[in-house]
Amino acid sequence: MKLIDALKLVALPVEEDAPEKRVCLACGFTPLHLQTFLTASLKSQLPGHRVIVKNGLFGDLSGNVERFQSQKDAFDSLVVLIEWSDLDPRLGVRTLGGWHPSQMAEIVGSARQMAARLQKGIVEASRLVRVVVSMPTLPLPPLFTTMPIEASPAETELRHVVASLAAALVQEPGIRVVSGQSLNCRSTVEERYDVKSDVATGFPYQISHASVLAEILSELICDRPKKKGLITDLDDTLWSGILGEDGPDGISWHLDRHSQLHGLYQQFLASLAGAGVLIGVASKNDLVNVERAFERADLLISKNEIFPIEAHWSRKSESVERILKAWNVAPDSVVFIDDSPMEVAEVQAVYPEMVCKIFPKNDYAGTWKFLKDLRELFGKFVVTEDDAIRLQSIRESSAWREANGNSLEMAEEFLRTAEARVTIEPAQDWTEARAFELLNKTNQFNLNGRRLNQAEWSSFFQMPGSFVFTVSYKDKFGALGKVAVMMGQAAGERLTVTNWVLSCRAFSRRIEHQCVKYLFDAFGVNEIFFDFESTPRNAVLRTFLTELIGEQFQEKVSLSKEQFAAKAPRLFHTVEGIVHV
Amino acid sequence: MSEQENRLLQCFASVFPGLSEDEIRQINAESNGEWDSLATVTLAAVVQEEFSLEIDPEILPQLDSFEAFRKYVLPYEPGNGAERHA
Repeated sequence: MKLIDALKLVALPVEEDAPEKRVCLACGFTPLHLQTFLTASLKSQLPGHRVIVKNGLFGDLSGNVERFQSQKDAFDSLVVLIEWSDLDPRLGVRTLGGWHPSQMAEIVGSARQMAARLQKGIVEASRLVRVVVSMPTLPLPPLFTTMPIEASPAETELRHVVASLAAALVQEPGIRVVSGQSLNCRSTVEERYDVKSDVATGFPYQISHASVLAEILSELICDRPKKKGLITDLDDTLWSGILGEDGPDGISWHLDRHSQLHGLYQQFLASLAGAGVLIGVASKNDLVNVERAFERADLLISKNEIFPIEAHWSRKSESVERILKAWNVAPDSVVFIDDSPMEVAEVQAVYPEMVCKIFPKNDYAGTWKFLKDLRELFGKFVVTEDDAIRLQSIRESSAWREANGNSLEMAEEFLRTAEARVTIEPAQDWTEARAFELLNKTNQFNLNGRRLNQAEWSSFFQMPGSFVFTVSYKDKFGALGKVAVMMGQAAGERLTVTNWVLSCRAFSRRIEHQCVKYLFDAFGVNEIFFDFESTPRNAVLRTFLTELIGEQFQEKVSLSKEQFAAKAPRLFHTVEGIVHV
Repeated sequence: MSEQENRLLQCFASVFPGLSEDEIRQINAESNGEWDSLATVTLAAVVQEEFSLEIDPEILPQLDSFEAFRKYVLPYEPGNGAERHA
C-alpha cells in the first residue's frame, strides 16, 4: 500500500454508531507512518469499523507496555514493536553511548535484562487483551569488531536473547508473534532501514517496510476465520498415477519414482487433519480400487484421517455436495483441490464461494507455494483436544444419522438407547481455547452472532454474576467433545443468557434442551431471558426458541419454566459433572 | 492544470482531508492549524513517494505552503523558474 492510499483510507468516514477497534501501539520510536499504515490496514480488514490506533511515549517501549495495565479498558488489542535499540539504546543510532569492544558484554547483559522486563509486561498484558509482538526487524548496526559477513560472539548472543524472548512469548495463548521468515519474504532486509529518517524524525522504517509490517500486524490482530475442510482428488493429486490404469501398486509418491511432491502433499494433509481440519476425497474412480489403494502401508495420511471418501463416476460437484452434507459446513469454509482444470471449473461453477485450486503436479516451485498458500487458509495457533477428535466425531455422527432414521418414533427410540452423556461445567478461565473458538466460529446455533475479542472474553470472567459453561457430549457412537458454550449473567431472580452457541455437529440430540433445563435447575429461576438477535444464519436457534415459547418473537425473548416443561421433549441424557452455582 | 500539479493536489488532500482544491492552493503552515510538524513530515513522505524524489531535511522547513511545494516539486512547470532540487 502506498502512503497516500493509506492516508485516504484513514480519512474515510464511518457511521456514527460503528463498532470500534481500539489498538494500542507500543514502540520505542516515533510510530509516524506505521501508525497510518496500521490504521489503514485494519480499516480495510474491518470494513465499517471505527479504527483507533494510539501510541505511547517516545523512547520508552517497556514503560509503554507496563503502563498498558492502567489503560486496558481503552483498548482491545496491544501491538508491541521491538527493535534492537529498545533492548539497549546503543544498538541504535540516535544515542552515542559507545561501541567500544569492551562494552559488548555489558550491552548484551542490558539487552538480556530488558528482554526479561518486556517479557513480564507483555505476558501480563496478554491476560487482558490480544497482544501481537514483532521482534527486531531492522539490521544491527556495525558495532561488532568482526566483518559484517562474520558473526561475532556478541551478535550471536543478542540474537539468542531475542529468539529466547520470542520462544517464551509464543507459549502464551493470548500472544501472537510475527514470523520473521514470513516478514523476510514480503520485505527484504536491506530495504527496511531508513537511517536518514531515523536520525531526522525518529522513524526508522522505509515506507514500504512500514506498509508490509502493518499488513502483517493487522492480519494477526484480526485473526480472520480459517477454512474448516479440504476436499481432495486422488489421481495425480494425492498420488502420482492413475489408479484405474496403474493399479494400487503402480501409484507413487516417492523420490525414486520422481513423485515426491505428492508425498509432501500427503504429509501436509495429515498435518492439517491432526489440527482438526476435515479432509474428504472426491475422486472419479472405482471405490474398490480406492479402498485397496488406501490399504498401502506407506501412505503418509491414513484412511482414518479422511472422511468421507466419494469415489464413483458422477460429477465432482455431486461428490462435493455429499461431503458438505456429511460435514455440515458451508461451502465458503471449504477448499477443493484437483489436478484437472476442468473438474476445478465444474466445482467452482456450482460453488462460487468455495476456494478451488488446481494441484500443481510436476511443478516443484508451484507446489512449494501451493502448500504455503494452503497454510495461509488453514493456519491455526492452538490445536485443542477437540480438533483431534473432530473427524472421528463427524464419522460417528454420520453413522448416528443413518441409525437415527427419519420417523419420530425411530428418533425417539434411538435417542433413548444412545447412552448419551452430557457434561456441563464452568469454563475454568479465559484461557479456555475451545470455548473461545466455538463462540467465534459457530454461525447456525448462535444466539445473536456476537463475536468476542480477547479483551471482552477475558473481562467477562471478572464481571459480577457472570457465568460461562461449556457442554461436552458423548454417546455409544463416540465422543463429540466440547460442543456448546453458554454465557450470561445472574442477578437475583433474573438470569440472562447473553451468548449461546452449539456446534452443528451436535444438532438433533436435544443437547440444547438439556442446556436450558440445566440453567433452570442450577440457578433455581422461573424464567430465563435470552439476548436473541436474528442473523442471516441463526434461524435454527429462532426455531428452537419459538417451539418452546409457542409463538413468534422479535428479539430478547424470555422463556418460563412452565413453558419449557410443557413443550420440551423427553431428555434421555445422563448429565455429569454439574457444578452447582 | 498539469497532471503533475494534480498529483501534488492529491498529496495535500490526503494529508489535509476535507479541504477544497482552492483551499489547498492557498494553504500554508502559518494560517492552517492542522499543519504541524507531523503534517510536514507526512506531507514530505507522501510527496517523496508519489514523485520518486528525496527531499533534503534541510529544505523541509522552507516547504511551508502549497506554493512552496509546487515550486520545489514541479521546477519545470511554466512560471516556476526554479531548478529541480532532487
